[in-house]
Amino acid sequence: MKISYNWLQSFFNKKLPVPEKLADLLTFHSFEVEEVKENNDDWILDIDVLPNRSHDCLSHKGIAREISVLLKYPFKLIDYGKKIKESKELASKVVKIEVEDKKMCSRYTSRVVVDVKIDSSPKWIQDRLITCGLKPISNVVDIANYVMLETGQPMHAFDADKIAGNKIVVRKAKKGEKMVSLDNEKYDLDENVLVIADEKGPVCIAGIKGGINPGIDGQTKRIVLEAANFNLRVIRQGSKKINLRTDASWRFENGLDPNLTQEAIDMCTYLIQKIAKGKVLKGLIDIYQDKREAKKINLDTFKVRSLLGINISDKDIIDILKRLNFKVKKTKNKLQVTVPTIRLDLSIPEDLIEEIGRIYGFEKIPSQLPNAFLIPSKKREDLIYQNKIKDILTNLGFSEVYNYSLLSNKESIKLANPVSQEQKYLRSSLMTLLIKNIKDNKRYFERVRLFEIGKVFYLDKRQVIEKKKLACIISLDEKKKESQEFYHLKGVIDSLLNKIGISDIWYDDTLGKNRKAEIKVGNDLLGYIEEIESNIAGFEIDFEKIVQLATEERVYAAPSKYPAMVRDISVLVDHGTKVVEVLNLINRVGGFLVRDIDLFDIYKGENIPDSKKNLAFHIVFQSDERTLVDSEVNQLRDIIITALEKEGGWEVRKQNA
Amino acid sequence: MHNQIKQKAIKEITQANDLKKLEEIYRTYIGRKGKITEILRSLKDLSEKEKKEKGKITNQIKNEINDMIKEKENKLLSKKDDNKGWIDVTAPGIKVPQGHLHPITLVQRQIEDIFQSMGFSVLDGPEVETSYYNFDALNVPKNHPARDVQDTFWLKDLDLLLRTHTSPMQARYMEKNNPPLRIIVPGKCFRYEATDSTHDIQFYQFEGLMVGKDVSVANLKAIIEEFLKEFFSSSDIKIRLRPSYFPFVEPGFEVDVKRKGGEWLEIIGAGMVHPNVFKEAGYTNEWQGFAFGAGIDRLTMIKYQINDIRLLYSSDLRFLKQF
Repeated sequence: MKISYNWLQSFFNKKLPVPEKLADLLTFHSFEVEEVKENNDDWILDIDVLPNRSHDCLSHKGIAREISVLLKYPFKLIDYGKKIKESKELASKVVKIEVEDKKMCSRYTSRVVVDVKIDSSPKWIQDRLITCGLKPISNVVDIANYVMLETGQPMHAFDADKIAGNKIVVRKAKKGEKMVSLDNEKYDLDENVLVIADEKGPVCIAGIKGGINPGIDGQTKRIVLEAANFNLRVIRQGSKKINLRTDASWRFENGLDPNLTQEAIDMCTYLIQKIAKGKVLKGLIDIYQDKREAKKINLDTFKVRSLLGINISDKDIIDILKRLNFKVKKTKNKLQVTVPTIRLDLSIPEDLIEEIGRIYGFEKIPSQLPNAFLIPSKKREDLIYQNKIKDILTNLGFSEVYNYSLLSNKESIKLANPVSQEQKYLRSSLMTLLIKNIKDNKRYFERVRLFEIGKVFYLDKRQVIEKKKLACIISLDEKKKESQEFYHLKGVIDSLLNKIGISDIWYDDTLGKNRKAEIKVGNDLLGYIEEIESNIAGFEIDFEKIVQLATEERVYAAPSKYPAMVRDISVLVDHGTKVVEVLNLINRVGGFLVRDIDLFDIYKGENIPDSKKNLAFHIVFQSDERTLVDSEVNQLRDIIITALEKEGGWEVRKQNA
Repeated sequence: MHNQIKQKAIKEITQANDLKKLEEIYRTYIGRKGKITEILRSLKDLSEKEKKEKGKITNQIKNEINDMIKEKENKLLSKKDDNKGWIDVTAPGIKVPQGHLHPITLVQRQIEDIFQSMGFSVLDGPEVETSYYNFDALNVPKNHPARDVQDTFWLKDLDLLLRTHTSPMQARYMEKNNPPLRIIVPGKCFRYEATDSTHDIQFYQFEGLMVGKDVSVANLKAIIEEFLKEFFSSSDIKIRLRPSYFPFVEPGFEVDVKRKGGEWLEIIGAGMVHPNVFKEAGYTNEWQGFAFGAGIDRLTMIKYQINDIRLLYSSDLRFLKQF
């Protein structure tokens, strides 16, 4: 909010500190002053009033009150009520006021001023309005705005002669009702909007915007002034509905003290009497339900010291509370603090402790390490594994990316209020954006290896499922080998899972003979691996699942004390034959002495018929109990060869001893 | 004397490792003014018998040295042509694929390490939240303007939202765990806002919470100070607290930090846990504590002097490979 330095000074006899110093004082004890700007003979302080203080500090008086507490400067208060000269004619004769919806309007205060001369306002008012960013219009309107900027209470003025039926009703709008505002905008209203209406219909959107019909113009003579307290929720709701925020609605939305209306309307009336030469009719029309009383809060001074961590005496605490204009009564071991109604934000002891802390000065609170209890710090298992896996993958040459969780592609969960079409669905897979990342990066790099760990989301029986996934994607340079990316990634998966202690990984192609397989460990499905395009392959796996598998206890076997023997076998098979078929056969007939089978080459091309491929294996034989002899290993090898030829129907091409 | 010269010559030839040096040795011993040549010249004054005897030996040595030099010469010449014995160490190494961790990961790890060393446990929480945990349990009443401050993404046809801060984990954790406690919760958050160089619809934040019987503002100051000193690896760190407002704390602060020679930076929101938050979690009023939250993106940007938050989510290797 823009605050005028000169205006603030007008509340004090003592000279205020220079604007920069004043700004620092407010920043460290009240609200951040975002900017101090010189403006003609004044300075503008742009103050970011906090939401919990908007009810009492979106005004010059509110800020001045803060300053008076901080500097211990006496605060000049003018009782405008005493300066008003009322005539004999009754205000209530000119206008009747009815509050239909009392919950939405806890107080409605009104005065009537007649014989008003509409003109432009005096320069001092115009200057202050301009300093605060408002446009001067006419004396009456400017005075109403001036009062709002000084007190924080929004005001409204109606031309009494334009109110149909001489009656004002505060009520909810009816569906289909319309209103044209002072600035000629049309608004369609409904029951979400609170209005001030005369006999014909809405003349003002309560607390938000005045209507053109009873607006003040050059011919206006008789004025009905309004200072009301509208419910903050109805103003918020109405302002959202008609999509309009004004200086008035901004203040109402934060809630206001209902006791504020009277001083505001008195000030406004007095200024109109003085400046627009109006005659004030007798009586304050005041519809006020459930009069707001000052709150009492019990404060334990021990708690003040304990929460702030300072050694402040009871006397100093009381002194600060009194500076804040609170009444303090000492009971046995507590203070009973009475808080004026203007401070809507204070209701519990902690609220008072904040006041004490900020007036005392947060900068004076020492840094002190806690007397902490000894509890070992823990880190969730998945966070430990997350770090481990990230390290393994970067060591394998993959770079980590953080993508957006929101996508343009259709997914099962949609945002109700997206910011853009590009980001309106929640991702159900990390792969969508990783594929895009690969393509973007291929413009600059021949080989791209990326990974991401992040949450994905999908619906399952109307329940949102949130899962952490790990995905890798790769694209290499010029083709050296068929599906090199796919096989490279298989190697990455094996290496990654082995490093975190997961073995028995297998690839299930029950999905059919395409370019995709499910990654499994035992019966657990981890995810899938796929050749996405001719030079891009990726995999995505369930992160929680691998953490679960990795943390299972394992039994380790000692390495065999006896030497291993290796035999190589080379098998010519049809192009469509899967490696796993050959492996399974070797395993089955080779028996328990076959320790490992390593496919070291797949060959197609010269000397091989077009429809065939050659698979070359190292078969490792080993026993835990004895040293194997050549003859038995050769015998096993021959059994394997026979089986490969007879059962498999494949040609065994070459063998060595 | 002959023998001495011979031994010396052999030694020098063996040690010679270039042709120039070999040339020098040749001149020293068997050139026109060489030592052996001198001896041969001096023989003319001796008797025929002695001349014959000594001449024979001297010539023999001369031939031996000559042969050795020849041999060495060949060796050095052939070495010059042979690349096998030589490596061009200035040629570039073969490229090994190199992966990089995301800068947010690097910063998050550092944060986790520092707080773990101070006894804080590290937790994680859901990104899709209920309005109860995101707002109500944190003392943000319905229709309150505070809900405006952090505009929220809501899920269509579901009564759920994308968390606007990591604070819901305060409520979730306290609901299930008894005090005393010390936790931090790093994670991804979302806000409905227009993007620019310092704002994005998603960002990373970490939440801290410490609850005990006498945990105070003074303790909060000390913990944050310790963290910042470690994080910026400097003991020359100043902090200051300014009044601020978050519905789930009372009193509430903004913590600014100033590094040596730098400007004040606003980086942490903090405060003492609001009694309503404790009440909602079922804690009695004997407990008190502090909570704070800071942007991991923001700390990352400060640490690595990154001027646009959107770079962090660009997945551009030209950017990522610098970390």
